Amino acid sequence: MATNKGHFGMNGEAMADALVGILMVPLGLLGLVLASGAVDGEMYLFGLSLAAFCAAFGFGVLKRHYDAADRVPARIQRPVPHV
Amino acid sequence: MSEAAGVAGASLVPVQYNEDVVRKFIIAAMFWAVVAFAVGVYLALELSWPAFNLGYSFTNFGRLRPVHTSAAIFAFGGSMLFGTAFYVVQRTCHARLFGGPALANFVFWGYQFFIVMAALSYVMGYSQGREYAEPEWHLDLWLTLIWVLFLVIFVGTLLRRQEPHIYVANWFYLAFIVTVAMLHIGNNLAVPVTFYGAKSYSAFSGVQDAMIQWWYGHNAVGFFLTAGFLGMMYYFIPKAANRPIYSYRLSIVHFWSLIFLYIWAGPHHLHYTALPDWTQTLGMAFSIMLWMPSWGGMINGIMTLSGAWDKLRTDPGLRFSVTAVGFYGMATFEGPVMSIRSVNSLSHYTDWGIGHVHSGSLGWVAFISFGAMYYLIPVLWGRARMYSVRLMAWHYWIATLGIVFYISAMWVAGIMQGLMWRAYDSFGFLQYSFVESVVAVHPYYVIRMIGGLCFLAGGLMMAFNMAMTILGPATAPRPSMPARAALAGE
Repeated sequence: MATNKGHFGMNGEAMADALVGILMVPLGLLGLVLASGAVDGEMYLFGLSLAAFCAAFGFGVLKRHYDAADRVPARIQRPVPHV
Repeated sequence: MSEAAGVAGASLVPVQYNEDVVRKFIIAAMFWAVVAFAVGVYLALELSWPAFNLGYSFTNFGRLRPVHTSAAIFAFGGSMLFGTAFYVVQRTCHARLFGGPALANFVFWGYQFFIVMAALSYVMGYSQGREYAEPEWHLDLWLTLIWVLFLVIFVGTLLRRQEPHIYVANWFYLAFIVTVAMLHIGNNLAVPVTFYGAKSYSAFSGVQDAMIQWWYGHNAVGFFLTAGFLGMMYYFIPKAANRPIYSYRLSIVHFWSLIFLYIWAGPHHLHYTALPDWTQTLGMAFSIMLWMPSWGGMINGIMTLSGAWDKLRTDPGLRFSVTAVGFYGMATFEGPVMSIRSVNSLSHYTDWGIGHVHSGSLGWVAFISFGAMYYLIPVLWGRARMYSVRLMAWHYWIATLGIVFYISAMWVAGIMQGLMWRAYDSFGFLQYSFVESVVAVHPYYVIRMIGGLCFLAGGLMMAFNMAMTILGPATAPRPSMPARAALAGE
């Protein structure tokens, strides 16, 4: 079902998803930088966890994107007559 | 995703709501509720029998206490607020969440990441030492990012609404989001020792620091634990009762008077301190004025049941919501009384404060959340009702009993402490040593622990009921309210 395309349609949502995915790169790198220079255990743990979080979330965005792309052709596929 | 094609009127474009993120927040809220209650019971055990501190740094009271408060307020309460705000704003605006599913997912997982990292930092011994704002600067910055994105999604959804009117629940949610952002940034202004270290120092010092802390602390209660949950009340009570709000006009008066008055009340936490006397009096005066909007809102919530009181017999979820409004009235009566300087001289630093906080957090925040969850779970997972209505009723009674044990024990303990600390003998000496007051309150600490255990048992019942509802076989979904039947919208 279409959703408010006049304001922010599915194409806009796909672009927003991509932007969120791209945001994970600088945030993950920041985590690695913090962990590499950490002077205490808390910052080391936070930095490594932030990098891991961003990597996992980025992969999740990619997976959901391709899962959604796979579902679209299946939905519009017409029955093929077999002999 | 659920589809609401045509239910709210023929002129509206059908919308595919993003309910995935709402479901995630509701599951997270249930999980964190059990964690918060369990840690609370353990802390009550430690206070009753100090041997339960076990001698480890990470199990001592000082480190576990912020785990309990953060799990209850930010993890359980926060997850409920995020989840219901996303649900309510979509339904009442007849619009899909702004920003796409990835942004909403990032807000969910980013917030859960914040909670886990904050809890780990507490048990590792890192804290700013600011009550209800213990996380250090790096976690504060992360939460700021998540919060700004939360605001973007909420306001973006409001702006793309198809309904001309912004329903009052959204006003409360918006006040909660905007004000908590302001409080969080103001209270956490700090200078890190190094970019690579967790330690930081507050930008404020002395009494100004204390004033900022309690400007934040009291308004965290006012805008996180009150305004946001009032948004929940104004949506879910009319929906569950199938009645419009008793007075929509009163709800608007409630909103504006509450947000105007609450922000000034913080100084009542600093009576008899170095804070200027006039500032203390200002905080006290505004606290007393808060009676009016608080009770106006309570009456509005309870009177919404007019003509539908019979539902309380059959719907324990609604019973939770209405009892919550009763506790809201009671806690907002008690708070202004405690803010009066002469009463405060007796109640401050005693367990009366702990009892007051828990009548609000268990009776109001947790109960209104339970009511909303019992309404939402069947709706979100497409079930006719919860797995067991009888278990819901058991949850209601055991949780209510737990609160009664808890707050009555703390009232008695607190007033006794206050009276013992101020008692003089005929020679002008203090009549009791401090340790005598500790011994005197021990039985009440044990009763408090039993009350907490009851509340935890209720939480576990709810978690089981929720799991069985979700994992059980699909049934016909709960019938929807007729279009335009209530102001709460679809």
